[in-house]
Amino acid sequence: MLENLLELTPDIITAIGETFFMLGICLTTAVTLGGALGIAVYLTAPGNPLARYRRFNLTADAIINVVRSFPFIILLVALSPFTRYIVGTSIGPLAASVPLSCAAIPYFARLVEQTLRDVPRGVIEAAEAMGASPWQIVWRVLLVDGRSGLILSTTVLAVSFLSYSAIAGVVGGGGIGDLAIRYGYYRFQTDIMAAMVVLLVVLVQLIQTTGQYLARRADKR
Amino acid sequence: MPTSTAKTGAAIRLTGVTKHFAGSATAAVHPTDLAIEAGEIHGIIGFSGAGKSTLLRLVNLLERPDAGLVEVGDDELSALPPLALRAARRRIGMIFQQFNLLHNLSVAENVAFPLRIAGDSPASIKARVAECLDYVGLSAKAAAYPGQLSGGQKQRVAIARALAPNPGVLLADEPTSALDPRTTQSILDVLADINQRFGVTVLLVTHEMSVVRRLCHRVSVMDEGRIVEQIDLRTGFTAPRSELARWLFASGEASPAEATQPATVAAATSAPATAPANTSAAVPANAAARAIVVTPANAPFREVYHA
Ligand SMILES: Nc1ncnc2c1ncn2[C@@H]1O[C@H](COP(=O)(O)OP(=O)(O)O)[C@@H](O)[C@H]1O
Ligand SMILES: [Mg+2]
Repeated sequence: MLENLLELTPDIITAIGETFFMLGICLTTAVTLGGALGIAVYLTAPGNPLARYRRFNLTADAIINVVRSFPFIILLVALSPFTRYIVGTSIGPLAASVPLSCAAIPYFARLVEQTLRDVPRGVIEAAEAMGASPWQIVWRVLLVDGRSGLILSTTVLAVSFLSYSAIAGVVGGGGIGDLAIRYGYYRFQTDIMAAMVVLLVVLVQLIQTTGQYLARRADKR
Repeated sequence: MPTSTAKTGAAIRLTGVTKHFAGSATAAVHPTDLAIEAGEIHGIIGFSGAGKSTLLRLVNLLERPDAGLVEVGDDELSALPPLALRAARRRIGMIFQQFNLLHNLSVAENVAFPLRIAGDSPASIKARVAECLDYVGLSAKAAAYPGQLSGGQKQRVAIARALAPNPGVLLADEPTSALDPRTTQSILDVLADINQRFGVTVLLVTHEMSVVRRLCHRVSVMDEGRIVEQIDLRTGFTAPRSELARWLFASGEASPAEATQPATVAAATSAPATAPANTSAAVPANAAARAIVVTPANAPFREVYHA
């Protein structure tokens, strides 16, 4: 087993690199675009500071639900023309990042929206009573009192999409999951597959522990 | 609506305001007029669900009235566009039963909050925060987080935060209802002092008659979305006419007989030295004073939590 692993070390390192590449792109787009979308949906929900934009709220909510209801493997295939249009190919880690991001944006938007609901209404009202603008409420209230929940949401996002990136890998995306399938499934090298699974377990542990640590430190309650 | 206030000089004036929440059978606030004199401490008392909080929240437009006029000082709030409304709200402080402090901000950062959103300079914010924390006796807790404070201390921080931008008006929604009797007294002392010293007009919602007796110049008795009676506690005692007011004045720890001498009640129940016997006074002489300047020498509450 050790021989096999040593022999494949360069491939494994490449696969790890590809996984981090896919995860990096997808987390970045999800946190920025999905985060903004989640905040917007929260703010426009009934009873919240921008509730008058009801139409936006309903539309965005519906889009989030539709995209989230696609099984990821189908989204992957369905988006391939779009992927080819954006990055010029539908093969490789960069191409895989497109459907990953498209799935991650609404996923994180929903997490953010639900996390922000835990910020006490009274605190937001106090800020409104002090003359805070919606923008100030986002930056100075929601992202401050909601920050530890948002860190945990990001942790959940990262863990979920680490495993989604393994699926994306199968369709020519590369990465740890791809390696595991190629050697473990197609070449019957079960040891490689097991090693890759262990690697993923360790990565998930690492993400989860770091996330929880940061969330605890951010929370002054 | 019986009110003795002249058309001018009202710090808060509600004219025909109504509020009906969607899906509710009756209006939370039926057409209501209310005029609060500058420098007055005005109570709104009534049972739970009477519409007290809704009426209070109409004053700074946390609730939009369905109809009617909301005026605070020289501003007709109900007619202001969003930007001007936010500016006007900076001149209206508000405190709450649940304090509503930001948990992840330190005490000093909480007090700085309204000044930061108004865009004040860091130097002036720092000075003002120190001043206000000193006033409420919590300078030593500047770096603490709200989670580390007692309820009374949290309400003091909330008061310091409300005072920081020098408001002319302070709205208080059951500010002592989450506090024990002794802490309640110390918070009422602070509110009375703010009114007396800085001339801040206070509109306070409560369901406790004892709070009204100890603090208020006048009280509006509210029932099912209407002000059913207004009673002036300064000009001797006019017997309550409505059944609800009679019930309220008869219940609680003081008898109606005692209530005819509010000054005595206030003096008897107040903490020594710090409590101004405001119920005996008319509207404070410095009602026009607006700048709230606190120096260590005149900060009356410093000792409370250091002791
Ligand atoms: N945001 C709201 N939506 C719907 N109904 C409300 C809302 N706020 C208050 N109400 C209703 O309006 C009435 C008055 O409430 P409130 O002003 O909070 O009473 P009080 O402060 O005197 O206890 C109650 O029947 C309450 O259920
Ligand atoms: Mg209430």
